[in-house]
Amino acid sequence: MASGNVSITIKLFSALREALGESEFELALSDVSEASAQVDVAAIKKLLSQRGADWKEALNQPNLVHALNHKVVFTDALVSEGDELAFFPPMTGG
Amino acid sequence: MSVSLQSEAIDVAAEYAQLVGDSPGAAVATFTGYVRDHSEQHAVTELELEHYPEMARKVLEDLGRSAAARFGLSNWRIVHRFGRLAVLETIVWVGAVADHRGEAISACELIMDTLKTDAPFWKREQGPAGEQWVASRESDAERRARWQSGEAQ
Repeated sequence: MASGNVSITIKLFSALREALGESEFELALSDVSEASAQVDVAAIKKLLSQRGADWKEALNQPNLVHALNHKVVFTDALVSEGDELAFFPPMTGG
Repeated sequence: MSVSLQSEAIDVAAEYAQLVGDSPGAAVATFTGYVRDHSEQHAVTELELEHYPEMARKVLEDLGRSAAARFGLSNWRIVHRFGRLAVLETIVWVGAVADHRGEAISACELIMDTLKTDAPFWKREQGPAGEQWVASRESDAERRARWQSGEAQ
């Protein structure tokens, strides 16, 4: 399989989705591995932060939540092909 | 022992009948949450609830299962709405069936306290002062933490 085609799905919700104007997109893992030694959530945040000041600010909020395949994780969680990674503010349901 | 994520209003009477009909028990506790007409600072006329469907379902199913294991529930049900909600409409409903009242009541409380901070829903309030995303509350995180520290049981 050509590594350039290997991707993950990024999802954004709530105020983050609104601030960045995107709700879902694919990200090539090769872009992440070119920029960082380890393909983890922190590396993906770092790469996406290069998209602009608004991305950098939104993805570096201290209370940002990251969910990998529907489970909340820390930034050292490793990400692999086909994974779904979501970023959002603290939850306010109920 | 199931979860429903729905845009339509919650039929509380039908939910109750189904919960008890499926598994009669000696103690039944339920919680119904309604949309408040005010927030901490503003009047609220409408609420919009955004959610992350796949994750919300998984989190609520895991939560129901863990409450059932912890409190020995014979049945449980969690219903949560999404979309546009008017003031005083139902927003969430939790039901728990156990052998004794303590377990049934605690299960509802555990589910509600955990759901508030762990289930991916986000409220956006609308009112005369405009629209705004609801900020998470420290008191919710504190209530959630009580169940992990063993302070609540």
